[in-house]
Amino acid sequence: MRIGSYELKLEKRGTLSNWQAASISILAIIFALALFSIIFILAGINPLSAYREIFSFAFINPYGLPPTINRFIFLLFCTYAFIIPFRAGLWNIGMTGQLYAGALGAFAVLFAFGGKASLSADLSLEIVIPFMLIAAALGGAVPGAIAGFLKGKYNINEIVVTMLLNFIIFWLVSFMIKEGGPFMNPGGRGESFELPPSVYAPLINNVPFTIFIALGLAVLIYFLFAKTKIGYQIRAYGQNPAAAEYAGISPFKIPLLVFTLGGAIAGLAGYHYFAAVPGVYKIARNYGFFGDLAFYGIICGLISLGNPIAAIPVALLFGGLSVGGRYVQGKLSMSFGLDYALLGVLMITLVVFQFFYRYKIVFIKIGKERTDVGVLR
Amino acid sequence: MWEFFVRSLDASTIFTLAALGELIGQRSGVLNVGIEGVMLFGATLGFIAAQSTGSYLLGFLVGIAIGGLLGLMHGFFSITLGVDQVVSGMGIWIMGFGLTTYIGNPYTGPLGMPRIPSILGLSPFFYLGIALVVITWFVLSKTSLGLRIRSVGENPSVAEVSGIDVAKTRYLCVTIGGMLMGLAGAVYSLDYNPVWNYNFLMGWGFIALALVFFSMWNPFILLSGSLLFGTLWQLSLNPQLVLPGVMSRYIWRMVPFAITLLVLLIMSTKWFRIKWGAAKPEALGQPYVKE
Repeated sequence: MRIGSYELKLEKRGTLSNWQAASISILAIIFALALFSIIFILAGINPLSAYREIFSFAFINPYGLPPTINRFIFLLFCTYAFIIPFRAGLWNIGMTGQLYAGALGAFAVLFAFGGKASLSADLSLEIVIPFMLIAAALGGAVPGAIAGFLKGKYNINEIVVTMLLNFIIFWLVSFMIKEGGPFMNPGGRGESFELPPSVYAPLINNVPFTIFIALGLAVLIYFLFAKTKIGYQIRAYGQNPAAAEYAGISPFKIPLLVFTLGGAIAGLAGYHYFAAVPGVYKIARNYGFFGDLAFYGIICGLISLGNPIAAIPVALLFGGLSVGGRYVQGKLSMSFGLDYALLGVLMITLVVFQFFYRYKIVFIKIGKERTDVGVLR
Repeated sequence: MWEFFVRSLDASTIFTLAALGELIGQRSGVLNVGIEGVMLFGATLGFIAAQSTGSYLLGFLVGIAIGGLLGLMHGFFSITLGVDQVVSGMGIWIMGFGLTTYIGNPYTGPLGMPRIPSILGLSPFFYLGIALVVITWFVLSKTSLGLRIRSVGENPSVAEVSGIDVAKTRYLCVTIGGMLMGLAGAVYSLDYNPVWNYNFLMGWGFIALALVFFSMWNPFILLSGSLLFGTLWQLSLNPQLVLPGVMSRYIWRMVPFAITLLVLLIMSTKWFRIKWGAAKPEALGQPYVKE
């Protein structure tokens, strides 16, 4: 393509430096937000003032900031659940089901300790919460392990499997909390029994302690991939499974391992949102909404290119955007689903930008003798 | 019982149309995991078009057109830009899921138009589905175009050398495939269950994707698979019609997904593969870059 006396040419990139990758990712986010302003314009709203509302509510407003942080923690768990298999070249889109399973695990512990029988049950925080965390991780790990096992042993497409499991577990939750299911609220509403206040998650400055688990995982996953042998094996498998197998890396163990780990982390996201966020403390009737939010984890994982440290600011941003989006939707009386629409626009922009991670546009000044050159690719 | 039978065939038709679209694309070597997104788009925009103009024809045309457009988009990402086909498909699915939730929300509720008349007691789309299966089989296995499509899906570099335009063939297949998926969505929202609701598909697209693997890329096996899963799906929605009082209705909703998993598992065992062979297009999922 030619513009004036310059030729526009696409060149294949070599390896991408961290800064280059980061700048492309930032560009992708800016581009998506610019694209998203079309939705505001179509609704007759000035996009600049809409974005000002979103950001000031999500990051400054004392009512908006706590939900942003809670959602940030949730998204970070979901992102890590996506990233670990992603580094092995596998797609975990089953965070939704895994987090439901985690929530069911955590509530099963409460059930066992008699938390359903009475809201005033005086349970010991130090004993019950660790059990709930372990059960949540195990609960999430089970569907993860199923997907990993089927991929490793029988090479069944992991996208199909994780998605089928999402639906299976979605209905399992309905069964457990509605129409006389074992976890149903004694009041008969179609939601789970509530957490006894004695086992509310400890808060630090109004933020659940799960934030330390999430940030700790960031460091652990970073070290897993940067320093350990197993991390190296996962990356090698991700780059070329056939070559990795040749080098003695088990094509069965790696998928099983990454999906089990990913599922366990997604399970913690389930604990976090249904048992640790102030004001929720139950598996709510609209639990499907929290499951849908988990898909932001895919976007965070892709934008941060699988880097667990880079995922932190990205998850914070998207947490804020989804909270602020919901807020302006109400404030500017827009149609429901603004946060869903944002999810869609971000995702498709990211697909386009996948191209720019591999190619760059260069301008070449055309000399007189080169006027015949004009290739796009 | 007759009612149940008819509804099962209606459900099967939607699976057939969507999975057939995916099969055509996969035969040319392009995997589109975004079927659910394309269906959601076709269903939602078709619903809106039909409701605001009062014309079914326009609704279906819009559904087909948006499906074709999304297929084309998937083609542009995965063929021209060389983006990973899974990434592009996931993008289309999540975009469909996100945007249709926002776009369709003001239209939540029933369509409010007279039902599409049936032919001999069955939906006209059932006959269309059967016809399309036969046509697809005929084109793929009996015509030179079909040979071209299959060779592009098996070995694009050899096809290119023998004078076939790989990119053009793949574009053709993903676009037609997208149109069929869009039509499947429109049939859902205009004929099968004419009520718009948030994320109403709840997994139809992903079952259709699994059906293509199940069919071993053969349109006739695909049709029988659709009939099986359509019946199963209908049974899971109305278990009381056949087995009243057995299991909670929520457990029934899990059944089609669980059986799909089981079928995929059986088909992937060594025993099955040796017995039946696998017809998977060799180049499926791999972008083709002309050297």
